[in-house]
Amino acid sequence: MTYPTFIWLIGILLLASPVIYLVGRITRREDSSAPAARWLALAAVVSAWVPYILALQETSATLTFGAVALTMDGLSLLLAGLALGLGTLVVLYSMRYMEEDEGEEKYYAMLVAMIGVMIGLGTATDIFNLWVWFEAMAVTSYLLVAFYRNQGLSLEAGVKYLVQSAAGSMLVLVGVALVLMQTGTLNIAEVRALAAPTPGFIVAGALFIIGFGVKVAVVPMHTWLPDAHSQAPTGISAMLSGVVIEAGLIALLRALSALVAVSASWGVLLMAFGALNMFAGNLLALRQTQVKRMLAYSSLTHVGYMLLGLGIGISTGVAAGLEGSMFHLLNHGLMKGLAFLAAGTLLWVLHAAGTDHDALLISDLSGAGRRYPIVALTLSLAVLALGGLPPLAGFMSKWQIFVAGFQTGDALIMATVVFAGLMSVLSLGYYAPLVNTLYRKVPSSIVARGPEIPVLMQVPLAIMALAVLAIGLWPTLLTWLAAPAADALLAAFGG
Amino acid sequence: MGIGLYGLLITRNLIKLVIVLQVLVKMALLALVAAGHATGQVNLGQSLAVTVLVADTVVAVIGLALAVQVRQRLGTLDVTQLSELRK
Amino acid sequence: MVSWLILLVIGLPWLGAAAAFFIRDAQPRVLNTLAVVVSAVSAACAVALLPFATSEVALSLPVGGIFGNFTFVPDGMAVVLAIIATVIGSLAVIFSINYMEGETQLGRYYALVLLFIGAMCGLVLTSSLLLLFFFWEITALCSYALIAFENDNPKAVEGGLKALIITQFGGVGLLGGALIAYSALGTYDIPVFLAQAQTLAPGLLAVMAFGFLAAAAAKSAQLPFHTWLPSAMEAPTPISALIHAATMVNAGVYLLARFYPAFEAVPGWTTAVVIVGALTALLAAIMAIVSNDLKEVLAYSTVSQLGYMVYGIGVGGVLAAQFHLLSHAVFKALLFLGAGAVIHAIGTRDIRKMGGLGKEMPLVRTVFIIGALALAGIPPIFNGFWSKDMILEAGAVGGPTWAYVVMLVVAGLTALYSFRMVWTVFYGERRSTTHVHDAPTAMRVALIPLALGTVTTWLLIGPFGRLYGETLPTHHLHIVDLGEMAAGALAQIAIVLPVIALGLLAFWFRDRLSGITRNLGWLAALARADFGFELANRAIVGATRGAASVIRGTQTGQLNWNAVGIVAGLALVLAVLALR
Repeated sequence: MTYPTFIWLIGILLLASPVIYLVGRITRREDSSAPAARWLALAAVVSAWVPYILALQETSATLTFGAVALTMDGLSLLLAGLALGLGTLVVLYSMRYMEEDEGEEKYYAMLVAMIGVMIGLGTATDIFNLWVWFEAMAVTSYLLVAFYRNQGLSLEAGVKYLVQSAAGSMLVLVGVALVLMQTGTLNIAEVRALAAPTPGFIVAGALFIIGFGVKVAVVPMHTWLPDAHSQAPTGISAMLSGVVIEAGLIALLRALSALVAVSASWGVLLMAFGALNMFAGNLLALRQTQVKRMLAYSSLTHVGYMLLGLGIGISTGVAAGLEGSMFHLLNHGLMKGLAFLAAGTLLWVLHAAGTDHDALLISDLSGAGRRYPIVALTLSLAVLALGGLPPLAGFMSKWQIFVAGFQTGDALIMATVVFAGLMSVLSLGYYAPLVNTLYRKVPSSIVARGPEIPVLMQVPLAIMALAVLAIGLWPTLLTWLAAPAADALLAAFGG
Repeated sequence: MGIGLYGLLITRNLIKLVIVLQVLVKMALLALVAAGHATGQVNLGQSLAVTVLVADTVVAVIGLALAVQVRQRLGTLDVTQLSELRK
Repeated sequence: MVSWLILLVIGLPWLGAAAAFFIRDAQPRVLNTLAVVVSAVSAACAVALLPFATSEVALSLPVGGIFGNFTFVPDGMAVVLAIIATVIGSLAVIFSINYMEGETQLGRYYALVLLFIGAMCGLVLTSSLLLLFFFWEITALCSYALIAFENDNPKAVEGGLKALIITQFGGVGLLGGALIAYSALGTYDIPVFLAQAQTLAPGLLAVMAFGFLAAAAAKSAQLPFHTWLPSAMEAPTPISALIHAATMVNAGVYLLARFYPAFEAVPGWTTAVVIVGALTALLAAIMAIVSNDLKEVLAYSTVSQLGYMVYGIGVGGVLAAQFHLLSHAVFKALLFLGAGAVIHAIGTRDIRKMGGLGKEMPLVRTVFIIGALALAGIPPIFNGFWSKDMILEAGAVGGPTWAYVVMLVVAGLTALYSFRMVWTVFYGERRSTTHVHDAPTAMRVALIPLALGTVTTWLLIGPFGRLYGETLPTHHLHIVDLGEMAAGALAQIAIVLPVIALGLLAFWFRDRLSGITRNLGWLAALARADFGFELANRAIVGATRGAASVIRGTQTGQLNWNAVGIVAGLALVLAVLALR
């Protein structure tokens, strides 16, 4: 039996994970650093690119393990690309960032596993299998969020995240049970054919939205996010905001696509939550003084844009809404990832310089423009891109979502788009001061005393910043990834 | 299940919360088995249940491990005390 | 050939910007040379476009999909504004050599200036609504970054943020309008839109028209969005000259002029434009009279003159408005740079601390007077007189009488504050003991061409009109040549000159009129408070902050409370589904 190439993609990563842990543990040095783990992790993610690129050439490959079928369609390829892309950059970045920390082998093992599991999530074709991958992703992330076990705040964040996320998973499971009860099958395509607007299915749909919604940080289930994203090690913060939330969103979409026939309101609900997320995310970020917390709240806003685009596409069939949303999903991973990694370098400097506080404050960024020009430039670009300013990536994906809204011709949707535009303006109210602080003349104490930033941490920053600029000037650079994903969604939702 | 959810809202002890979650998941598990039974796929229902059991156990173990760490570092298991991170 | 010129006009400054950013501050001479050369070459390219001006698409970059093609059309309006942006940009850069001497972060400064110049040219040269918005936003970004250039000065940072938020807010109007056009016509192409505008549903066209008006008002600092411009005076003076006098603020006027044929038939639109223009001109002129900050007077004066241009468009005098835009760009840049020379020498912006500087700064005094005479609209050789009269002419014929009277009064007020400015700064007693010197070389190189321009650009009305007429067929412009313009002006002189004279005399005899001044004290106080608009701004900011504080309260950190969120979400969704 010939296996499609994507089995290697997931396989390399999942098999590498325990190997990384074991080898790292065995070869651990006295200062508890584990260089073997680092290099093995890098090798794993880099070699995973080969099957990925091969998988891109194949159209819709399917793999069956007994009763379980996995399919790589446009949506799966998008998620895989995002997870692997950001994951590779994060591994590269972490090689120096996590050098001083204990438990490196666990970190890399979990990180590689998380990437593999997320790619697997994208390939699921039945809702239980989807739940299993989703749960596996959650488990790897619990350990990574609470990585700094010696810090009370990390533990607190981890605990809250675990409890809330587990509650969400449980709700999804009940939804799965309901679907099984009414259709006798778990396969998404089969369920789609059998679903009908009965109360049982409606409740299942609601459970999916809320259950997956916890992971996607839909307001009001978002409360775990600022804590988890700000307390996790920087590379993990980037992954959480950049890919994990998005993976949860894709899981939600897969599950909901099975229930298209159940209600005409799914799209409207997504749009409504989208508007709520945009509003809440911006207001919560507005008065923040901690950088990572501000970036975490900003993720809420961007999930809002994605939900808006998806809602537009699902409720009216306007393809641009879906494509814009997928484009924004990719862009957000890139921009937010860059923002976290760039801010993270300054957090690293803070730890190295030794201060009285642990969290990176905006005031700590003062003067970074002169001392650390690349970090300051890339952080500015990331943050302004998130604010939707051209010629950066965020502008183009938001534009696409807005166009879609106006293409529907529906007055309420158009008003929501105008609202979204205003929310973009509002977000500048907290992004712009951050950029201003970077370019102040008077350096903060950590900037003045801080050491040189390792090249290995700056390289991913430069790569991502160039990508943000390139996509902003030539928006169709990512169409090859976004359009097939949008097509897959359109087909799934009966477009 | 309603009782379970209510339990999430008022339980203060971290270990008890983990237990509440366990209870809730078992209910979902039962639902899965029942669903399998009702649709004539008893084997399916059972294999689903086993998978969920395994996954859930892992989560419980992690949860308890975190609880232990919390007790050691922060000296309490009362979640209302764990609110340093706010706003 | 043409496509290369366009690429150079936009692209060369951008490449220069990238280069400038990465050159370390330690080599200011390299930076200065780079900036001057890049902006000068791009100015040359812009001028070179003149003979090639056309209404056809000259450059098209196929991007595809929902983003359309990135197209550029070098018609008369575009080329003239591009020339203004690049030429005055070059002069501002030259001026900066002296003004920014010894400043740190010079690389960032020049990078932002060059980025701005390229973006401004792109804004006027493009014929795609998407790109129009794209460049519009970039100019806003540069403006904000340059106002807040001195990041350690909280007033500068605040000014920058205010400018950003207000212009972006207005920008949503442009965004909405562009999206309406695209979804109705399936293309971003502006000429196509102008031709087919009447096929849009009237409601949608009206929304688009007023959205564009809001965007233009915000960008050109018209009522009620004018409050950002005075705060923007914290920017280095060459920036005030370039961005806030000669180019970016003209973007709003450009927008109105470009889309006039599509919107003139929308009921109430032209009236709204006239109201915005006239009221702004009036209130801003009053605010200029009571201000004691030299740059603030010029800022309000800019707002007021932009009001003239907006009014001009509203009454159908699009060519007149554009001609005044040209005159104003030249003489206002001159005034700002002159003011910059004064401020740089004496170290303050407060005119009460200046006085009698004419003896020690004769060149600056001369060029400043030239600019002021143009601003006040004194005949016969100052460009301001001719273009302002053209607008008044158009207003007399095509606009409501009350507005015409208001604009006449404003002409008088303009004369008043111009005279006040010149007299208080350069004549009378020396109120400060700081030693001053006349403008250094680089500043002179910038000032003198602008002064020459001020007394000559009015002669170009003939070719100017022909250029516009030939390349903007949809606008149905009323073209005049020099003789007709002169005839028209003479007709107006009888009405206008006495008003101006009144203004001048009012200042000269201000001591005798002190009774009136006291009685009008309430007006002055109101003017100093921005006529209440600043209060409105603060209220909005306060409300937003308040909302933010309230919502932060929901993030309690209590796990049980967080769980409530999950349950509440579920209940909410079930409720919605049950109801639909």
